[in-house]
Amino acid sequence: MKEKIIDKGHYVDVPVPEGAVVVPAGSRLAVCYTLAGRHAFVLEAGASLDLCLLAFPGECDGLELSVDLVGEGAEASLSGICVCSEGEFPLKVTVRHRVGGCVSTQLFNGIVAGSARTGFDGRIVVAPDAQKTKAFQTNHNLLLGDAARAETRPQLEIYADDVECSHGATIGRLDESAQFYMQSRGIPEKEAKVLQMISFLSPVLEHVPEDRREEIAARIEQTVRSL
Amino acid sequence: MAENDILLDIRGLHASIGDKEILKGIDLTISKGEVHAVMGPNGAGKSTLSAVLVGRPDYTVTEGSVTFLGRDLLAMSPEERSWAGIFLSFQYPIEIPGVSITNFMKAAVNARRKAQGLEDLKPTEFIKMMKEKMAMVQMKGEFAKREVNVGFSGGEKKRNEIFQMAMLDPMLSILDETDSGLDVDALRIVAEGVNKLRTPEKSAIVITHYQRLLEYIVPDVVHVLKAGRIVKTGGRELVDIIDRNGYDAF
Repeated sequence: MKEKIIDKGHYVDVPVPEGAVVVPAGSRLAVCYTLAGRHAFVLEAGASLDLCLLAFPGECDGLELSVDLVGEGAEASLSGICVCSEGEFPLKVTVRHRVGGCVSTQLFNGIVAGSARTGFDGRIVVAPDAQKTKAFQTNHNLLLGDAARAETRPQLEIYADDVECSHGATIGRLDESAQFYMQSRGIPEKEAKVLQMISFLSPVLEHVPEDRREEIAARIEQTVRSL
Repeated sequence: MAENDILLDIRGLHASIGDKEILKGIDLTISKGEVHAVMGPNGAGKSTLSAVLVGRPDYTVTEGSVTFLGRDLLAMSPEERSWAGIFLSFQYPIEIPGVSITNFMKAAVNARRKAQGLEDLKPTEFIKMMKEKMAMVQMKGEFAKREVNVGFSGGEKKRNEIFQMAMLDPMLSILDETDSGLDVDALRIVAEGVNKLRTPEKSAIVITHYQRLLEYIVPDVVHVLKAGRIVKTGGRELVDIIDRNGYDAF
């Protein structure tokens, strides 16, 4: 896990990306889908965005996501379920707190299998005047097999002084003691792995809109069984 | 003793972890319906014996044999041993975040049924069975929804082990230091649970450091394990001798 502060003390005020989807003041946008390419969102005062990304094998294309919080009281909740079994999947997420009093949370959990390589670049930028910002970022990666690779680069760039920010990232493998515990209860090795993978992704499932949760849960189960 | 009354037969068992030999020749025969206590000081190899019987991968058996109901136990995977009727109550139960007790037990019960060529248990039957066994260890309804051992107190973890034992209804239960870290009330609940599961056909190995648990679960045979060997085998009277004089006498 690397942490770097770019150009400490010199905030660079880059413009809001062109063609960004604007979530107007006081409104809410909730979406759950598979995305590829470049996408940008701008949140006005009191607006909220719930974005849940899905990337299953065959859909793991590179994605660059940026979210700009430009009005006070805006809230962004970004999450992602990624299961990749081949190729490269770079995921770049930039959240900019341009004004104070906004909240952003990120939770991206990825299972990397086969020969897949994933890279998470998560950047949180808090502008000098964006006091009372709350920004949290989490990225967990589960490696299956020796050929799978994951990289994670969480970055916090904070120019304001009254903020609450945190980030956490892990890269690990299936827990062998839990595996054995399940086997000792008669759960076959393969089934025990499936249960562990489902449980690894389950915190993100809570971010999927309720009406689609069952469908996505079924898709997760089907996908991890095939790994 | 009739040959077909023998449940477990351990002969000349040696086992190591890494380069370190822990079990140095264990002979132990358990017949159906018997409760054996294995007592011994710390580091004697008590937990290693239980780990080897359930096939924990970090231990290597270097010599000897173990047969369970006539089958070569050491050739079986941990899940096959469970299907055959062996159950270990872990000294340190493992947490499995994200997996509910219900889903965990459903997977366990149905995996065994599948191995026996049976259909999955009907949801209503499964729920009924869960409720019945939970009541036995005084666990309330919300328990079924909790993640396996996550945030459980020491007593709850051990009650959860006995609950799982009741659900899986084993032929041989191995209780590894089930009394450690329990207060008197939790100990009584656990012991009552174990006693309710006793039948003339079923056997248990109670591994313990102290005599306390054996006041509740009364053994037929007592073994003293020291430095990887059984140094003394006797009846209940051994428990009192250990209580008075410790293990130095053996």
